[in-house]
Parts: sequence; structure tokens; C-alpha cells
Amino acid sequence: MTGQDAWEPEAAELVRPYVITKGRDLPDEEQLSLITLVTASADRTQRPTRLSPEEQSLLDLCSAGYLSVAELAGHTRFPLGVVRILLASLTEGGYLVTRPPVARARLADKEILEEVLNGLRAKFG
Amino acid sequence: MTEYIGNPLLWALLVALVAAVALIIRQRRAARALRQEVQGLKDHYAELESDYGKSVQAAQERAEDETKTVLKSAMRTLQGLAAEQQLVLSRLQTKYGDSAMLQDLLEIDHTNSQFGRRAQSIAVLCDGWLGGRRDTASVYDVVRSAQGRIRHFRRVEILSQVDFGITSRAVEPVALALAELLDNATSYSSPDTVVEINIRTVPKGICVVVDDAGVGMSDEERARAEKLLASDRASGVAGLGNPPQFGFAVIGVLCERFGFEVSVDSSSPYGGVRAVVLLPHELLTSMPDKKAPAPAVRAAAVPGLDGGPEAAALAPSPTADGLPRRRRKRPMAIVPGSDPAPRPAGRSDSEQAQVMGAFQRGTQSGRAARPEAGDRTSSTPGASSEGHEVS
Repeated sequence: MTGQDAWEPEAAELVRPYVITKGRDLPDEEQLSLITLVTASADRTQRPTRLSPEEQSLLDLCSAGYLSVAELAGHTRFPLGVVRILLASLTEGGYLVTRPPVARARLADKEILEEVLNGLRAKFG
Repeated sequence: MTEYIGNPLLWALLVALVAAVALIIRQRRAARALRQEVQGLKDHYAELESDYGKSVQAAQERAEDETKTVLKSAMRTLQGLAAEQQLVLSRLQTKYGDSAMLQDLLEIDHTNSQFGRRAQSIAVLCDGWLGGRRDTASVYDVVRSAQGRIRHFRRVEILSQVDFGITSRAVEPVALALAELLDNATSYSSPDTVVEINIRTVPKGICVVVDDAGVGMSDEERARAEKLLASDRASGVAGLGNPPQFGFAVIGVLCERFGFEVSVDSSSPYGGVRAVVLLPHELLTSMPDKKAPAPAVRAAAVPGLDGGPEAAALAPSPTADGLPRRRRKRPMAIVPGSDPAPRPAGRSDSEQAQVMGAFQRGTQSGRAARPEAGDRTSSTPGASSEGHEVS
């Protein structure tokens, strides 16, 4: 056996992602999108011991301020969906606060822009 | 006396007597010879019988060995495939991490893990390959790995953690043995009950206690389990019954081979079985370090956004994960502490923040001021921020 262990190819992670998520379902897209901002909630300064190491490290990441879901996923090296599931459950537990992304600015009217452009051309062109 | 000599009758008697004696002697000799022959035959028979027994046993052992060899190599193939598939699934999960497909991928992963575990169990019974790990793992992770290898893993709850690791050599065997215990615990308890795991430090090492709220074991089952867990274990795969009951046989082999102990002789406070795995100090190490970050492959592949060597030098230093570091005033706790490289030129963080703040205020005031077209003169930087490319 020992001889065979030596050439052991790269092994997958010991703890599979579905165990880390405890088999929970993906949260809604509206609830946690890529650019939703997340931070640790202020009233829960004491860290619960029952959280898994992955949840703890997510809380650590979020403790310093708002981070987007995409950034969190990048730092934890888990698939994005897995991070979203964990974040959703942490939010449910009251450890995290989410903030919906800043609404997109309304686009300027194209006609006005064209008029401005025409005006500028007329003046300087 | 002399008158008798002439008596023919006497002579006749005499002759008859001699003949009788001769006959008796001959018969006795023949009988002795026969007895000896019978004895010889009996000995021969016994010899043959024992020879036969021996050869039957040898044939059985040979057949068992052959079965084991065949199964071992067959399982090896299956184990390899399961491991390969697991890697493929990991890749897919990363690739499609943001799609709804992830849910299905996780489910396939779960099934694949169970499949791999079955193959491993049979391989263990055939003295085969278990698959190894290069790194030590925390006890908690090994327990969770075991949890992932059974069907009803959602019903398992880990209630406590300890700061110990398991040596790389023992990671797989302990995980497999625990998985078999958890499989038993979840299979023999009702689907709405929870199987609890407690991890405790004891003088002899670490105990992993598995409690289920099932119906418990009958005396007969308990005796069978204890026999399989003890040294006189069932040899090989024959005699596991149909459907085969691998659990305790596998655990017994693993305990013997890797030197940990499993007992099932107490009953759980919830009425079911309490199984206790005792991991001795030889199998334990200190808590493994946090996973070493992946080599920064992408860091080299991402040039400065504007291109050019100067821009690359000014680009924010990447984290050990290969991701660009996000600058913030307070240090982030988790990111591995590489020295904050001072930026040789350009704005400081606070100046940058001021600029960005001014920019944002500008866009907001621009948007707010939009109805009054008279205010929209040249000074607001927000005018060009709406995302339109005006050629």
C-alpha cells in the first residue's frame, strides 16, 4: 500500500461542497446576486462556535466592511453557488447583512446626447 | 492302555483332533491377517479423509484468494474511475458555479461519493487499495468527509469540534470506517431523526461518538458485530450474506490494519446504538495549517490593464490566491499577510478615495440636476459617466 500511495494523483478535496452547504438549495437570484454587498452584522460580535470553518472564514472576510458576493467567492476558492448558499444561511442566522447593489444609473436620453453632439460639431467642427 | 492302541476309533479321534488344531491355527492366522488388513485400510481411509479435507480447504482458500484478486483489481478500476469523476465534477462545479446547474452537479457529486465508498469497502475486504491522502486533515474535516459518503448526510449533525488533525495515512481509513458507522446509524433509524456526532478528547486520544435514535441492535446482531470488530473477523467477501452487510466487517479490517478502535457495545441515550471510534495518539497530529493557497498561476497571466511594464509595476499587488488585492483602510483578516507593497507613484489611498468620492458626488448631482438643463454646463465630470460611448 505504501508504495502505491507515492504516485497518488491529485486528489479532490476531502470535504465535498455539498457537505459544506449541508445540502441546502441555491438561494434566489434576487436575494444574492453577484454584486450584492455583504457585511458582518454589528450586533453579533460574538462568534458562534457551531459554525463550520468555511462559514467562519466568510465572516472573517466580511468583518471589515462591505464586500460583493463575487469578491467573496474569489477569495474562498469555492464555486460561486456554494458561497451564495453559505452566505444565504449566514444571513438567515443573522450573522450577515446584505445590501442590494446600487441601482444602475438611468441612461441619458440618446436624442439629447445627439443634439449636444450636433451642437458641439456645429460650434467647433 | 495297549488295547486302546489297536482301536481304530482312537486313531480316528486323534487324527480329527490334529486336523482341528491345524484348522484353528490357520483360521486364527487368517483372522489376524484380516484384522491387520482392516486396520491398514482404516488408517488409509483416515489419511485419505484428512488429505481430502486439507485439499478442500486449500481449494477454498485458493478460490477465495482468486476471488479477492479479481475483485481487488476490479474495484481498483472502479475506485480510480470514481476518483477521476470526482475531479471532473470539482472542475465542473467551479466552471458552472454561477448557474442553476450547480445544484444538480452537487447531487451527482454526492452519488459519486457513495459509489466510491462502496468500491472502497469491497477493496478493503479484499486487502486492496484504499486510496491515500497526501495531507493531514483536521478531525472535523475527516468526519465531514465521512458524512459526505452516505446517502442521508443531511441527517448527520456534528455537535463539537477539537483542535486536532489526523495523520495523512489514517485520513482515508478513519473516514471510511466512520462512513460505514454513519451509514448503519442512518439506515437503522427513522428518517426524521438526527444522528449526532460528538468529538471529545480523552486521555487515550480522541473519541468520535456516533449516537442514533433508532431501534438499537438485538443481542444476536450485537454479538455478530462484536465478532466482526474483534480479531476473528470474517475472511474475505464470502459469508457476508445477501444483501451483503459490509459495515462491521470493513470496520474490523480497518481497525486491525490501522490501529484504531471501534466499539458498539453501549446504547445511545436516544435508544439507538452508540458507536465510539477511539483514535489513539499515533494517528493524531496538531491541527493542519489552513490550506496552502493555489500557486499564483493567474497572477502572471494578468498583465496590467493598460499594458506596458510601467502599468504592470503599478498594478495592485495580487494576493496569494492570484486575485488582485482590494485596497481598503483596515486590513482584511483572512487574506494571507503579505507585506502591503508601497505603491511607488500615483495617488495614496485617501487621495484616491477623495477622487472617487468627488466623482460619485458629481454623477449624483448630475443626475439630480438633469431636469434643469441650464445647470448642465461643462464642469460636471458626471456628464460622461453614463456609460454611453459618444464618438
